[in-house]
Amino acid sequence: MTAVDATREAAVDAQPVAIAVRDLGIRFKRNRTSRRSFKDLFSGRARRARPGEFWALQGLSFDVRAGEAIGVVGRNGQGKSTLLKLVAQVMLPDEGSVEVRGGVAPLIEITGGFVGDLTVRDNVYLTAGLHGMTKARIDEAFEQIIDFAEIGDFVDTPYKHLSSGMKVRIAFAVIARLEEPIMLVDEVLAVGDKAFKEKCYARIDEMLAEGRTLFFVSHSEKDLLRFCTRGLYLDKGGLVLDAPIREVVDRYNADYPVARKTPPKAT
Amino acid sequence: MSATADLSRVPRSPRSRVDERWSPAQRYRRSLWLLTTRDLKVRYSTSALGWLWSVLDPLLMAAIYWFVFTQVFQRGSVGDRPYIVFLLLGLLPWTWFSAAISDCTKAFTRDAKLIRSTTIPRSIWVARIVLSKGIEFLFSIPVLAVFVIGTQFAATTDERAQVHWELALWPLAILLQAALTFGIGMIVAPLVVFFRDLERAVRLILRLAFYASPIIFSLGDLGRIHPLVQSIAAFNPFAGVITLYRSAFFPAELDWFAVLMSAVLSVVLVAVGLLVFRRTVPAVLKEI
Repeated sequence: MTAVDATREAAVDAQPVAIAVRDLGIRFKRNRTSRRSFKDLFSGRARRARPGEFWALQGLSFDVRAGEAIGVVGRNGQGKSTLLKLVAQVMLPDEGSVEVRGGVAPLIEITGGFVGDLTVRDNVYLTAGLHGMTKARIDEAFEQIIDFAEIGDFVDTPYKHLSSGMKVRIAFAVIARLEEPIMLVDEVLAVGDKAFKEKCYARIDEMLAEGRTLFFVSHSEKDLLRFCTRGLYLDKGGLVLDAPIREVVDRYNADYPVARKTPPKAT
Repeated sequence: MSATADLSRVPRSPRSRVDERWSPAQRYRRSLWLLTTRDLKVRYSTSALGWLWSVLDPLLMAAIYWFVFTQVFQRGSVGDRPYIVFLLLGLLPWTWFSAAISDCTKAFTRDAKLIRSTTIPRSIWVARIVLSKGIEFLFSIPVLAVFVIGTQFAATTDERAQVHWELALWPLAILLQAALTFGIGMIVAPLVVFFRDLERAVRLILRLAFYASPIIFSLGDLGRIHPLVQSIAAFNPFAGVITLYRSAFFPAELDWFAVLMSAVLSVVLVAVGLLVFRRTVPAVLKEI
């Protein structure tokens, strides 16, 4: 295992940069009642936070090379998911930049694209298509997707009639089949039964072996250590530590020893 | 199944080379088409009457106005004859416009989850509404044809609708209307996210705009009040669009000044819309 890690690490340095983050910052409103004026909306990107707003992330800079597996660590509300969304470019920064070379398969809100009234088949074509898969590629991958989700009998059932477990399975199956070089995973693995969870893990391992870049947010130390080689530790909106995952997890545990006592599987 | 599945396949482009990335323009078109067909598919697969619903509203309105103006008031001076054809030529395009704009107020909220998980250009969320409502408009044209044919059995010649060469101007009318609707939609959609009241305001304004536009009457009718009124009404970008549609059966309706105005205003609105949209999208994505 360690030998594999070491060779992978050595190989990684030679890889091109897949994600380049520079001085990234994003701010949110603290409360919904804070006034928002037309002037606010149109006044470009002022540097300072306005009253009632706070910087969820500020001044983040790092590079991710192709093939790296990054784990993001931090307490709740420290901007982990926000960072993931910024990398996925489904949220846009208020300052700085995120440059992503190559497509992204975001395992975030995976069921979001599915329409209850359409059949599973239609939904697969729709979601995969929106993520940039060509029709021919979907045709090829369709069987695999359905097999993976284990819902062969429900291909022509309206999506809304599936059980919630099936819904997540088919959604995961579609996104995990996208041929994108970068994948983003945000705790989705907490759902589904144990067997399916194992399957998801196996699929992620498989994708890592294919040389894809992983950006992984989790509270599960076990998962982080299993998949990731490098860790980013976020605290109070800033990047505290960028180091090998073991070091990052240890530092996090040292900073928040209480969190260590809580059941490690809590997500 | 096959009927619905076929819709998801892009019917026009027979490109199917394997393992090939889409260029941004291709991806835009494809995503737009996917979402548009999704809209239509959902509409038609969930309601038994499907298509009928999209034409029922303008038909009902046409029936009401036709009854009120030609039967109750017996006013032959409003609009042109046959009045029912004249009305439909205004109501069908108006249905496209107003349905699209009122859907645009929900463009971001209704699909919030999907918007939060895909990176397709966000203007697609507006464009797909304009396109799907536009397709419904095209589907509703046969209704107009039925009425045009129906009037051929009228006793007098002036009650018979006749097609003129100006029918060739329809593509221009459709293009203008699409641009106009898209421009306004691009302004309305993001602003509604921040000012929820706007959703209701838009509905009110649409109703007002209905009576301010030459739909149940013609621009010429306003000229009879005072020529100035007609000139002012021509600044309504929708007026020019309607006169274009109408000219196919009522050539006298064509008002090039109004058409020019709506062309200019459409361009301006699209430009403003793109600007507003670009400036507000980062905040919209945080909000939804």
